[in-house]
Parts: sequence; C-alpha cells; structure tokens
Amino acid sequence: MNKLSRRDILKMGAGAAAGLGFPAIIRAQSKEIVILGLWDATGAFADVGPINDRGMKMALEERGMQVLGRPIKYITRDGATQAGTSTRRTEEAVDGEGAKFVIGPWSSGVALAVSEVAKRKKVLHLFSGGTEDISGSRCHRYSFQWAASPYTAAKTVVDSFMKANPKAKRWHLLVADYAFGWSVEKYIKEVGKSHGLEFVGADRHPLGEREFSNYVQKAAANKPDVVAMINFGLDAVSGAREIFNFGLTPKIPLIMTWSSGVEELVQLSPEIRENIWVGSNFYYTADTPVAKAFVKSYQAKFGNPPGYAPSASYSMTRLLLAGFDKAKSAEVQDVIKALEGIEVNDIVGHMRMDAATHQNIRPYFFMRCKSKSAMKHATDFADIIATGDTPLPKEYGACKDIGGF
Amino acid sequence: MKRPFILILVSIFLLPLVVRPAIASEIWIFAIFGLGLNLLLGYTGLLSFGQSTFFGSAAYVAGWLLKFYGINAFLALGIGVGVGAASAALVGYLCVQRSGLYFIMLTFALNQLFYFTAYQWTSVTGGEDGMPGIPRPVLLGIDFKDPLVYYAFVSVLFLISLYAMKRIVESPLGKILQAIRENEIRAEAVGYNVPRFKLLAFIIGGAFSGLAGVLYAMLFGIVPLEAISFVFSGNVVFATLIGGSGSLYGPVIGSFVFIWLSESVSTLWARWPLLLGMAFVIVVLFLRGGIVEAWSRFWLWRSSKQKN
Amino acid sequence: MSFVAAQILNGIATGMLYALMGLGLSLITGILNIPNFAHGALFAVGAYLLASAANEIGNFWIALVVAPLGVALLGLAIEYVGIRRLYAVGHDYQLLFTFGLALILSESIILIWGPVGYSYLPPPILRGGLDLGFTFYPKYRLFVMVMAGLLVLVTWLFLEKTRYGAIMRAGIENKEMVSLLGIDIHKLFTVAFALGAYLAGIAGALTVPIRGVNPGMGVDMLGIAFVVVALGGLGNLLGAIAAGLIIGVAQALVAAYWTEASTVVIYAVMAAVLLVRPQGLFGIR
Repeated sequence: MNKLSRRDILKMGAGAAAGLGFPAIIRAQSKEIVILGLWDATGAFADVGPINDRGMKMALEERGMQVLGRPIKYITRDGATQAGTSTRRTEEAVDGEGAKFVIGPWSSGVALAVSEVAKRKKVLHLFSGGTEDISGSRCHRYSFQWAASPYTAAKTVVDSFMKANPKAKRWHLLVADYAFGWSVEKYIKEVGKSHGLEFVGADRHPLGEREFSNYVQKAAANKPDVVAMINFGLDAVSGAREIFNFGLTPKIPLIMTWSSGVEELVQLSPEIRENIWVGSNFYYTADTPVAKAFVKSYQAKFGNPPGYAPSASYSMTRLLLAGFDKAKSAEVQDVIKALEGIEVNDIVGHMRMDAATHQNIRPYFFMRCKSKSAMKHATDFADIIATGDTPLPKEYGACKDIGGF
Repeated sequence: MKRPFILILVSIFLLPLVVRPAIASEIWIFAIFGLGLNLLLGYTGLLSFGQSTFFGSAAYVAGWLLKFYGINAFLALGIGVGVGAASAALVGYLCVQRSGLYFIMLTFALNQLFYFTAYQWTSVTGGEDGMPGIPRPVLLGIDFKDPLVYYAFVSVLFLISLYAMKRIVESPLGKILQAIRENEIRAEAVGYNVPRFKLLAFIIGGAFSGLAGVLYAMLFGIVPLEAISFVFSGNVVFATLIGGSGSLYGPVIGSFVFIWLSESVSTLWARWPLLLGMAFVIVVLFLRGGIVEAWSRFWLWRSSKQKN
Repeated sequence: MSFVAAQILNGIATGMLYALMGLGLSLITGILNIPNFAHGALFAVGAYLLASAANEIGNFWIALVVAPLGVALLGLAIEYVGIRRLYAVGHDYQLLFTFGLALILSESIILIWGPVGYSYLPPPILRGGLDLGFTFYPKYRLFVMVMAGLLVLVTWLFLEKTRYGAIMRAGIENKEMVSLLGIDIHKLFTVAFALGAYLAGIAGALTVPIRGVNPGMGVDMLGIAFVVVALGGLGNLLGAIAAGLIIGVAQALVAAYWTEASTVVIYAVMAAVLLVRPQGLFGIR
C-alpha cells in the first residue's frame, strides 16, 4: 500500500482528472479543431442552453463533424448565465481543451464578459446578440455579432408596424433596465420621430421582474394606442401575460420588439397571443432554402419548430464553418480575416459580416400572431409580415476602430 | 511541522498538475474567503449569510483602481483588505447586537442591499455585465499573466493567510471568541464586551474576504455581479460546512471539494445542482462536522480496529 | 387619484399572496426555529402540481384543492425524514439542509416538467375583468385577493380560536412549557411544517393563472417571503400578514413613480426596519 511510486500517483491523478473532466495532461490532439459551445444549463437561461446546443450540433453533424478534412471536437460548458462562471469556464476550455473558437453564450451581458476573455486569450468568439457594444463601443478583432443590430430591429419593427397601423401614434414602452433595453429604446424613439410617434410613457423594469401588474396598470392609465415591450425571455412572457390579464390586449396591440419568437410564444396561450406583434431575429416560416431544410430536419428530430435560440446557434456555427472554408485554415487569425466581409445565404436570407464593426448585416423579422381560430396547428403562432435589413447609420456607430490582433 | 500543513503544501504543488491553474488558484482564493468566514462561523458561532458583501465591495473598489489608475498590485491588495474590513465594520456594527435567525436575516438583507446597489449603479460596476478589464499585475519584473506564476502568487498569499489565521485563533483573542461561542452569557459575565469582540471578528473576517475578492478579480480579469450576490455568500458557508467548521482546516478542505466538484461535475451533467443538493442533505444527516470530522472518525475507527 | 387607488388595490392583491407565503414561513420559523430556504421551492411545487392536475383532470377547482394538499404531504415527509433530526443542531446545518432540499426540489421540477415554462388561463368564469369605476381590474386577481384573504383569516381563526391553534401559539412562545403539559412537541412540529408547506403550496397554486409556471419561480418568491417574515417579526403571524401587505403596496407605489427601484425598495425597507426595530414591526422578542 505504501509502495506507490511518485509516478504511479501522478498517473492516478491524471486518470482521475481526466475522468472528472479535467484532462489537463492529456492535451488535445493538434489535428482536431476544438469548438466550444458556451450554453447555459443553469441560471436565468437554463431553459435556452439545451436548445442552443441542439442547433449547434445539427450544424456540425451536417458536415460530418469535420472541416478542412480535420475532425471537429465539439465541447460544451455551462455558463450558468453568470459572467463569473462563464468567463472562468471559457478560460478553462481554452487552456485545458485547446478550444480556439467559442460560440455563445445567450445572455448579452454575459457575452460581453466572455468577449473580453476572447480578446485576452486571442480566440474567435461568435455570439448572437442583444447588446450593441460588441459591434460598438467595445468592439475588437476577436468577437462577432450574429444577430441584427438593435437599430435594424427598431427600424424594422417601427416601420412595419406603422405601415399596418398608421393611426397608432401613442406608444407606451416597457423596457428591461439594462444595456440591451436602453439601446433598443434609444433607436425606437429615434426611428419613431420620422413617424411622428408620441411616447406617452417609457417605464424601465429590473431584469428578472415577475410582478408586472404595477407596470401594466401604469401603462393602462396612459391610454396608449399600443404598448411596446423591449425585454426578453421570461420577462417578456410575464409582461405579455399580465398585459392580457389586465385587458389591454387584444383591445390594443402589444409589440414584443426583440423576441425569441417560438420559445416565448409557446409559453403564452393562443388567447394571450391575440393582437401581439413580434419582432425577432428568426421565425421558422422564413422563406429561405436553408431555413426550410433546417426547420424540416429540426421538426423531424424534436417534434416542434425551432425558435431564435437553436437557429442562432445553428447559423453561427455554419458561419464559422464558412469562415474555415474561405480561409482554408483553422488558425484563429486567418478565420477572422476570412469572416470579415464574408457574404453567405443562410437561414435568415442574405448575411454580410461588416469588416469594420464585426456586425452581421442581415434581415430582421416582424410577425403578427394569429388568432386561435386561424391557427392551422399548435405551433402555427404567427405570420411574417415584413423583414428589414437597414444597417446602423454611420453616425450612430460607436466602433470607430476595430483594432488589430 | 504538523501533518495538515505538510499535506496542504503538497497539494499546493500537486494541484496544478491535476486541474487548470485558474481553478487551482480559485480553490486557494476561496479558501482564504472561507478562513475569514470560519472565524465568525466556527470560532465565534456567528452564521453570517452576507460575506460576499465584503468580498464584492473590495473587488469592485480595488478593481476600479486597478483598471483606471493602474495602481500597484500590493496597494490594490492592501486597499482590498481595507475595504473588506471597513465594510465588515459597518455591517458588523449593525448586526452584532442581534442573534439567531435575526442575525442571519440581517446579514442577508444587508447583502441584498449591497447587491442591488451594485446592480443599479451601472456606470461604475457595469451592473449585470460585470466590471471587466481588470489587469493582472506585473510585479518586480515578473509577469503575472502566466497562470502558473499567478497561481504561485495566490498560493503564497494563501499560506500567509492560513498562518495569520492560525495565530489569531490560537491567540487570547481567539480563545475569547471561542468562549463567546460556547457560552455568550458566561463570557459577558466574566467581563468581556461581547459585541465588541464579535465586531472585531467581523472586521478580521471582512479583511480576509476583501483579500480574496481582489485576488478573484485579478484572476479572472472581471468583477462579476455575482461576486457580491447571496450566491457567493451561500457558497462560502456551504463549502465551510462541508469541510467542517470546527477546524482551522475545514474551510480549506471544503473549498477544495466544493470548487473542484462543482467545476468537474457541471461538465458531466447539466443537472449537477441536484447532486450538490443531495450532497448537502447527506452531509447534514450523516456527516455533521464535515469532512474533517469524518476523516478523524475514520482514523479513530481504523486505529481501534488495529488494536483488536 | 384613481391611478393611485388602482396601484394600492393592486398592491393589496399582490400583498395578499406575499402574506400567504410569509404566514407559512413565519409559522415554520416561529415554531420550529429553523430558516426554511426550501419555502420557495415548495411554492413552485404547488404551482406545478396545480398546472399538471388541472390539465389532467380538466378542472381548475379540483386541482386547487388537490395541489396544496400534495405540497402539505411533501412537507410532512420532509419534516418526518429530515428536519426532525435537526432541531438540536445549529442554524448552520439547518440552513445547509433546507438549501440542499431547495436545490433538489427545483432541479427535480426541471427533470419532471422540463426547463421551459408555460401559461395557464384562469377558469372561464374568472376570465376578463371588472370595471371598478376607478380602474379596470382582472376578475382572477380579485378572486385571488378574496381567496388569499379568506385563507389568511381561516388560518388566523384556527390559531386563535381552536385548542390546537392555542397549543401552536404556545409552541412559539415557550416550547418547554408545551412539553411539560404533556403535549407531543414533535407532532406539533410536524403539523406546523405541513401547514406552512400547505400555505406555500396554495400560494403557488393560486399564482399559476397570473404568472404561469417556470422552474425559477420559487427563487423569485423566497427572498420576498423572508423579507415579509423579518419585517413582520419572527413567529408573529399578524405581523406577517401586515408585512405582506406593506411590501405589496410599497412595491406598487414605488413602481408607479420610480420603476427601476421597485426591487431595491423591498430590501431597503427591510434593512431600515430591522435597524430601528430589530424584532420586526410587530415582533415582541
């Protein structure tokens, strides 16, 4: 028992470490390309992580888990929807597993923190969206934003809604009180000017608010023509539910400006969804060949249509792989250069990655929910009534210099 | 030298072979945090559910100065210790008069107050996004960006903290605190100013938390909002209890087990908090006294068997 | 003026739910003297049980009876298997235990019902709203207000007017005396925990048509329940009711004028009160 040599102990330690998920000694093979999916399994976005993972896996499996003739090793980490945990686990995956390409996480605030890690560790970071900082004031060479700019979203939503409801000029805004909410609010008000909109109220609620009745009563007292929410996930679901409970919808329209689409709508019943208008980065009836194929195989696999979350991870992964193809290299800097300015036709339609800001220039979707009687099946939530892809005007752009490597 | 000390020294050397340096560093940082709590929990009998108040405040203040004024790392650590102690003095002053569940709730409520202040004060703390871009120091020409170098730095500070805490608990002050834990009324009757000593324990514990907070901020280059949230306060309590609050080394072993397991199990199964919850329940029902006591019971059992 | 009245009405409606949560937690902390961190998880279990039962049976009212009883049974089991052994140990291990329990319960919810929440509409008779003159108000919220008020009243009458209630109150005041009177204190503890769990469960069940269900709903409620108990005074049942209403109304009024602060205000009020009156607003100890 006492005769264990030092070498044996070390070996045992390494074995135990590998078993426990810390293959510190067993370095990743150099031939493998390691890609990290940072998807939350716990915390505020615990419900989103698993479906993010689905989309990413599908994109990789399409290519037979390889690119440039080299095998892809797909690893995931639970970011716990927290900046500390996410940055820590990203670093661990970069150092320990040799991950050089990071996709995620879902929360825009956390993604900003991960973006800092990417910059420091010099790894490529793709993330969906929500904040305007990654392609704005905190832009750098290593991070790319897939989702539409908040300006594109605001412009699409306001223009398309006003086209359908020219008389609805009195708007009440309900805004999640963090960077994402503020930036969309700013652009809604900006775009609203050209339509002569009057903002009768703009209330900010804390992130993670569950008691919306107070805000809704306040909105009702303002007697607006329309209520527009700029919040996300459970906040949006709770808000929409309460706006219905208090009898605002369906009498007046509710706009969910930046919605995850299917993932939020499925949590509301058809009665609640009546007269809700939805802006989103993806809706599954999008009329593109890539979307059609993706939706079909996703539905065959999981039984329900994909929303924003799996579509974003699917499309981001495809974008990354397209970058590999174009660069003909798996070196981080080569792939970054390839992604800058890349143009592809993907699930949302035509996408172009702006080289100067790393902002994806792409269509944003605007839907109107169907009434219960018009729904053809349980997930027939809405019709796409417009898309828009107006990029952020130069004068608003905060990314003056993307910098070097 | 005593056996536990040698064991710790050996693990300091072996740990980076087994886990990532960042996680290894975090284990010792968390152990410093735990040492501070355990002066309150284990030695004075005060269950503070708001230790992250001091951890987070120190991290924010020192992080801010490091980021915008590029202050010297030792100065940052010193400021962290100071902020930790000062915020603990404030919270402690408000709490030490209370006892039992009220004490726990008050530390928790004040923690929430600090948390929501940090959450709302986005211009300074970054709110939800955290305060990123905190540089790791360059000291005496040594670049601490190398994870192993930083690990060595953390380890040395941990050893110093451990030694300091050992001296404190073995000092007359430590004995008085233990007397308060055993019987507060008697301690009062003997003539000790109990609230003042409790406050002192708070301040010392806060200083350790502050040190840990700054080291944490430099380790990950960010002060995340959760550093000041009740989750961190809870984690340090749980880690200490798992290790065993009755011993100086309890929080050290606890943070080792807590961080290592939660990091490794979380990559294996997404629903790992379920296992964590079960571990808590098992510790409470069967292993009270934590790992330290289980270990000594095991040795007792073994030696009694050998005698037979 | 009608706007303020509407906000106050709304504050009372929400406050009633808080009072229900606080009352259950206050009962548990007061009689058992343990910090029950699983109280939020019990709330969530109540909500999920209602949603499942209502979908299975197809009748909201039967589900509303069944679901909280299920939570009470769960509470009974938890006390009997675990908490019973912890009365002699310190608050630290009690906290570790109930926190572990909360983790187990909320993770089990994800495993059983999935990570994605959903909505559940009120029964047809309670859909829509009433015009109260000064505001339009959802019928279901009015129902919750009345129902929660009734529950609070019944619990109060039970504790004040029945023999068993008197024993429970005596248990809060002086456990030794109760034991000396020849009453099985353990049975009292079990009943108190089950009753507290029942109240959390029915609060959760009543919430479903308002907030739907999602796995995180328990955590959201736990903090508020603790604030209510601390504010009202540990083990002070009338205090818990008053504190619940105070928090509800304060939140509603702050949300009306300074929306960003509506969460902070809860904790600011609590910290301020505890500093001035450490025993809580109505506490005597």
